[in-house]
Amino acid sequence: MNGMLEYQTQGFNGYAVKYSPFFDSRIAVASSANFGLVGNGRLYILGLTADGIQAEKWFDTQDSLYDTAWSEAHENQIVVACGDGSVKLFDIALNNFPVQSWQEHNREVYSVSWNLVSKDTFASSSWDGTIKIWSPQRPTSILTLPTHSCTYSTAFSPHSPSVLSSVSSDSHLRIFDLRTPASASNHLVHLIPIHGAPPAPGLPARQSFPPSECLTHDWNKYRSSIIATAGVDTIIRTFDIRNPKAGPLALLPGHEYAVRKLAWSPHLSDVLLSASYDMTCRVWTDGTSNTQQDVFRGGGKELGRLGRHTEFVTGVDWCLFGAEGWCASVSWDQRLLVWDVRAVMGQ
Amino acid sequence: MASAGERLSTVMGHLNPSKASGKSKLLEKNPDDIVITLAVRTPLTKARKGGLKDTPLDDLLISLLTSVREKSKLDPALVEDVCVGNVLAVGQAYAARSAVLAAGFPITTAASVANRFCSSGLLAVQNIANQIIAGSIDVGLAVGAESMSTTPDNGAPPMSDKVLNHPIASQNTQPMGQTSENVAGQFSVTRQAMDAFAASSYQKAEKAQKAGWSADEIVPVTVQWKDPKTGQVSVKTITQDDGIRYGTTAESLGKIRAAFPQWSPSATTGGNASQITDGAAAVLLMKRSRAEQLGQPIVGKFCGATVIGLEPRIMGIGPSIAIPKILEKTGLSISDVDVFEINEAFASMGVYCVDKLGLDPAKVNPRGGAIALGHPLGCTGARQVVTALSELRRQDKRIAVTSMCVGTGMGMAGVFVSEH
Repeated sequence: MNGMLEYQTQGFNGYAVKYSPFFDSRIAVASSANFGLVGNGRLYILGLTADGIQAEKWFDTQDSLYDTAWSEAHENQIVVACGDGSVKLFDIALNNFPVQSWQEHNREVYSVSWNLVSKDTFASSSWDGTIKIWSPQRPTSILTLPTHSCTYSTAFSPHSPSVLSSVSSDSHLRIFDLRTPASASNHLVHLIPIHGAPPAPGLPARQSFPPSECLTHDWNKYRSSIIATAGVDTIIRTFDIRNPKAGPLALLPGHEYAVRKLAWSPHLSDVLLSASYDMTCRVWTDGTSNTQQDVFRGGGKELGRLGRHTEFVTGVDWCLFGAEGWCASVSWDQRLLVWDVRAVMGQ
Repeated sequence: MASAGERLSTVMGHLNPSKASGKSKLLEKNPDDIVITLAVRTPLTKARKGGLKDTPLDDLLISLLTSVREKSKLDPALVEDVCVGNVLAVGQAYAARSAVLAAGFPITTAASVANRFCSSGLLAVQNIANQIIAGSIDVGLAVGAESMSTTPDNGAPPMSDKVLNHPIASQNTQPMGQTSENVAGQFSVTRQAMDAFAASSYQKAEKAQKAGWSADEIVPVTVQWKDPKTGQVSVKTITQDDGIRYGTTAESLGKIRAAFPQWSPSATTGGNASQITDGAAAVLLMKRSRAEQLGQPIVGKFCGATVIGLEPRIMGIGPSIAIPKILEKTGLSISDVDVFEINEAFASMGVYCVDKLGLDPAKVNPRGGAIALGHPLGCTGARQVVTALSELRRQDKRIAVTSMCVGTGMGMAGVFVSEH
């Protein structure tokens, strides 16, 4: 493929990749030695230059790193999700040590997500069955939301400062609205069974699947009520949270093993990128680009795939700037690939 | 934080969900888990001969419930409901509630009975667990109890012509002994295989009793006992199972006459069938969050139970279909299970089920089963839970499946995890 760039994260297996929201040439990679099972983590800050991808800096951590998120407020700040239960904030203008480290989660932290609207907060989710909301200015978390289930992914809505979501090993998509009063429900407003609810009187019968661990999800950047989920059962699903009982809108089967990461395009409302244990990244349309009805007829389909990784692909992200289609992926093969989705269309 | 092995197993679970997830999920500790904080039983003694022969159901229950109340160190007012698994007693609902009150529980502690023949004890566990899951109660006690000395099993009652003329329903008139012969005949289970199975049950039970493995299962019962020779009534404390005949071998069992010469192949004998016995067992249940709040010691976890029906004439093979059903529901495979407690109603069904499921005989009833220990019908389901948890503790293992065949053609099975 022409124009594909590569960077080797020597000795570290990739877990997450994120483009800077401030600079089109800056990429962060969260990675871990020994496949994240035991050993150190490393956060790479990489620059896209005329001479290829260059490491601007890296930060080593005691335990594995599983996710990272750039600050939306401060161009030099970035948080990481650590295997030792800590959440760390680095300032890339400084060296070696984090400017803040919060040790509250009791088990591995699997995801971090910055609030895109109210840019002074971010969220983390953990194997310990909680989501925590943080402010870089505060020494302790602001709020803890229980899920009682290993929570692989949490994300703030890009459309609201107080709505966030999670998916977890209990096969459910949760929507929290922090504007609701504090009560026993802990701000939980929707609990959506991803595998499909049991048949209920008055609702049409629909296809149902056994529950399976959900590993990733993402909010659509244009349609504020649409969320895509995916995980161990390999099927990507989209949900409209305005109608949580309706079940999935689109089902996108195709991956051969569990899907590890999903990212909606920042440019096109129907396009989705996925990364999977089957060693591929795939580009999908959910079928909503033509007519609204298409999605219900199963108009969603795979548009193309990248098969260049040689191990599990764990992270993928879109470049927000420039021509639509540039993206980056990381894998256990210790490589970051930067490539143009348009080059794999139809493959 | 998790070890490298745990992290690896989560990744393996992503790749191989059907294989890895069941067991690891089962061993997870969640606040909503239904946990067991106490599991005890009385000694099992021979009906009409043993130490409990003069103890009616209510006295047996009062003794066990008192032990539970004292041993658990739990405020009895917190126990909201007691479900008593019992098959034979007349007026069993009177006995249950009265015994609860007489054992020192307050008037707010309710009681009910559960009866699905030999699965009644496990059904009681399931009923209490379901009440806790549904939020009806927070803490409950499941009991299985049977006094076969004072209320003997007289078989099927008179039934309507519609039942008697129905091809399958009419099979329910067949005595249990006949169903054992049906199993032996239909599935070609030989007398030799049955005697070997039964001898192994005796030998395992003998070894366990001599080694004192059951010491943490059994709470003593103090009873009035009438000497059959002198008629003298004395007070005795019963501490040991008395059904285990030491030195039993397949050869010695081979000499016993067929019990049912009228039904071919007449392979069932008094030596390779379960004994008629008195006894009771109790399992105290609550949510993990509640147990932690109360500082109760968590000894195990109830992970689910299921039931399935089959032709009444071969009711004995119930476990061979109930066990796969509960394994499928819990995502376990046979090899994930460390201990199987399968009720030995008859050696014919025991041999068939072990063979059909391909079980490792070393994992099946490691302390002997109903052939050696006895089978107090309503007690057995709860007794097997108590024994399984104690055995998992001894072996330092985790997962037990308990199952039994059920008269009138059913099988029930449950999964329990030890958290010693």
